[in-house]
Amino acid sequence: MIQVSQLKKQYKEAVVLDIPELLISKGECFGLVGNNGAGKTTLFRILLDLVRATSGQVTFNGEDVSKTESWKSQVGAYLDEQMLLAFLTPDEYFETLRKIYGLSTADLELHLSKFEELFNGEVLGKKKYIRDLSKGNLKKVGIAAALLGHPQVVLLDEPFENLDPSSQIRLKKLILSELEASKTTFLISSHDLNHVTEICDRIVLLEKGKVIRDLREKGEMLQELEAYFVG
Amino acid sequence: MFFTLMRLQYLKSVRSTSFAKSALATGFLVFIALLLLSYVFLAGLFLGRIIDEFVEGQDPISFLNSVLIYFFLFEFMYRYFVQKLPVVDLESLLHLPIGKKKIVCVLLLRSFLSPLNVIALLLFLPFGVEAVQEEYGVLGLVSWLGTLLCLSWTLHWFMLWFKQRFEDSLIGLGVVFLVVLLSGGTTYLGWFNVGELLSPFFTVATQSLLPLIGMVLLLGLVYLLSYRYYVAHAYLEELGEEEEYRVAGQSFGLFSRFGMAGELANLEWKLILRHKKSRTYLMLSAFFLLYGLIFYTNPAYQSETGISPIYIFVGVFITGIFMIQYGQLFLSWNSANFDFFIQRKGGLEALVRGKYLLFMSISGVCFLASVPYVYFGWEILLVHLATFLFNAGVLIHVIIYVALWKPKPMDLNKGAMFNYEGVGAAQFLIIIPLMAGPYLVYLPFSYLINDYAGLLALGVTGLAGILAFRPLSRIITNRLLANRYEISSSFRQEL
Repeated sequence: MIQVSQLKKQYKEAVVLDIPELLISKGECFGLVGNNGAGKTTLFRILLDLVRATSGQVTFNGEDVSKTESWKSQVGAYLDEQMLLAFLTPDEYFETLRKIYGLSTADLELHLSKFEELFNGEVLGKKKYIRDLSKGNLKKVGIAAALLGHPQVVLLDEPFENLDPSSQIRLKKLILSELEASKTTFLISSHDLNHVTEICDRIVLLEKGKVIRDLREKGEMLQELEAYFVG
Repeated sequence: MFFTLMRLQYLKSVRSTSFAKSALATGFLVFIALLLLSYVFLAGLFLGRIIDEFVEGQDPISFLNSVLIYFFLFEFMYRYFVQKLPVVDLESLLHLPIGKKKIVCVLLLRSFLSPLNVIALLLFLPFGVEAVQEEYGVLGLVSWLGTLLCLSWTLHWFMLWFKQRFEDSLIGLGVVFLVVLLSGGTTYLGWFNVGELLSPFFTVATQSLLPLIGMVLLLGLVYLLSYRYYVAHAYLEELGEEEEYRVAGQSFGLFSRFGMAGELANLEWKLILRHKKSRTYLMLSAFFLLYGLIFYTNPAYQSETGISPIYIFVGVFITGIFMIQYGQLFLSWNSANFDFFIQRKGGLEALVRGKYLLFMSISGVCFLASVPYVYFGWEILLVHLATFLFNAGVLIHVIIYVALWKPKPMDLNKGAMFNYEGVGAAQFLIIIPLMAGPYLVYLPFSYLINDYAGLLALGVTGLAGILAFRPLSRIITNRLLANRYEISSSFRQEL
C-alpha cells in the first residue's frame, strides 16, 4: 500500500533520513520507534508530502505522493497542533472537515460518537477555541480529525503523549477496534514501548535516519526493543 | 470548497488573539490606516492643483504621465519593505484533501485584500475624473486608470514571487538597488530620463485600449508566475518566514569583568540580538542618533546667548534612547523565562544589575557615537555629556522604577511596529518624569546663573546618582523582590 524507495533527506551535509526500501501493507499496524532525532517525524512528513525529499520517492497505491494529490482523501494524519485550525472551536473544526471531506451530518455524528468516551465530555459543545484547549484535549481533537472520512491509512505521531492513563487505554481500544472493523492501516510513532508493542504487529526501529530493526514477532518485540534501548 | 476556505480566512483574522484581546488597539490601528488612506485620497483630490502650482503652463496630464514611473518605482520599494507573504496557514491545510492549487489560490487572493492595493486608485481616480475624462472622455479615463491599476497590482503579484524567491539573497538586494538607481540616479547623472522614456506609454493609454490590454495580460502572467511558484513550493520548509538556524551574536568579553552581573548583561545582549522585537528596538536607537540633525541644523532652535533648552531634551534622547525604549518594558523582555531567574540563588538581583550594566554601556556607546555632533559647536558635546551622566545616574533608576509597575508578558518574536504587547499605563506615564526630570534640574540654574551652570548641575546630579548606584539600585531590587510573585504569575498568563 505504501512503498518507500531510495528515500533520502539531507540538510546540507547532514543526512537525516536514508531508507532504501520500506513496504507497508494494507491493514497493518505499523509502529515506528527510535530515540530523539532518529527521523520518525521527518519520515511521516515526507510520507504526507509536507516536506520535500532530497531524493527517492514515496508511493501510495502506486501514486507518487509528491506528484498527485488524490491520495490525500485516503490518508488521515495528526502530527502536531499546527495541523489544526487553532482559531476554530472543536465543533466548528469538525464541521469544516465534514465539508472538506464531503460527508453528511449523520456521518459526522456517527464518527464523533465513537470518540465519546475518549473526549470525556471535555471537547465537544464547549465554547472554547482549539488554541485554548489543554495539550491532552488538543491531541484528542487531532486524532478524531485524522480518523474522519474513513481513511485507508492513518498516521499518528506520539498519540499517547500528553494523554492521561485512562485516555491512553481508551485510545488503544479505539485503534484496535478500527483495525478490526475497517482494516485501516495505522502508522504510529511512539516512545512508549509498552503501548506500541501491544497494538502494533510490526515495529520498525530507526537510528540516525536508518532502519536498523524490522520486528514482526509479536512475542519478542518488547524484549528486543528493551535490549536495544538499554544499550 | 472555495467558499469554506474564504470563510476560514475571515474567521482567522477576526479571531486572531491580538484582535480579540485588545479590540481598542486594533480599532486604533484601523483608524490610523483609514486616516492614512484618506490622506492619500486628499492628495489625490488636490493632485491636479498641485501639478498646476508646480509646473505652470504645462499640460498637467502629460506632466503627470512623465513622472508616473517614479511613483511605481517608489511603490516597488515600499511594497518590498511592507508587503507580507501569505503563507502561515499552509501547515493546517496541506494534509487535508483540498489540493495545493486551491489553497494557494485562496492565500494569494486573500493577500490581495490589502490597503496597499487601493493607494493607486485613491491617488489617481480624482485626477482621472477631473482631467483625463475631461479631455479624453470616459473611455480614456477607463483605459488610463485601468493601466495604472493593473501596473500597481502587477507589482503586488510580482512582489509575492520576488520576495519569496530572492529573500535574503544578494540578487534581491541587487535588484532593489537597481530600482533605486533607476528611480533617481540615472536622471540625476544625466544618462537617461526614465520618466521621459516611459511617458508615451501612459499618454497612449489615454487614447487607446492597447496599453490596458497589454497590462491586463501582464497582470495575468505575473499572477500565474507567483501562483505556479507557490504551488511548486508548497512545503513547510520552503515557504514562510525563514527560521534563523545560525547562532547570532557573540558575547562581549568586556562584560565578563563584572562577574555575575556581566554574565547576565551578556545574556540580555544575546536575547536582544536573537529576537525580532528587541532587534528592532536596537536598530531604532541607532537611528535616533541622527535625531540631532533635525534640531541642531534648524536655525529656529539656535540661540545667540547660550544653549537652547530644547537641546537638553535632544541630548537626553540621543544618549538614552535605548534605555528609554527598551528599559520601559524592563521585565517584559524576560517574561518568557522569568521563572528561570526566580529559581536561581540571587538571580533577580543579578538580572537587575546585568540590565543596569547593559543600559549604561549602550548609553555610553551612544554618547561616544554622538561625539561628531561637536561639528555644530562645543556646547553640544557638553550637552551630550551632561545628559549622558544624568541618564546613567538618575533617569535610569526612574525608568526602571516606573517600569516595574505591573509589567506584562509579551512575545519577542513578533515585530515591533504597531505592537502594543507589554505596554500598559506605566509605559505612558514614564514620559512625564522623562520630560520633566532633566528640566527640573537644568532650568533653575540656567535662569539664575547661566546655561553652562545648568549643564553643570545636570552633570553633577548625574554623577551623584552614579556614585549612589548601590543604594538606588537596592531600592529597585527590593521592589522587584517584594513583587516577584505577582509579576511571575502575570507572566505565566497567556498573551
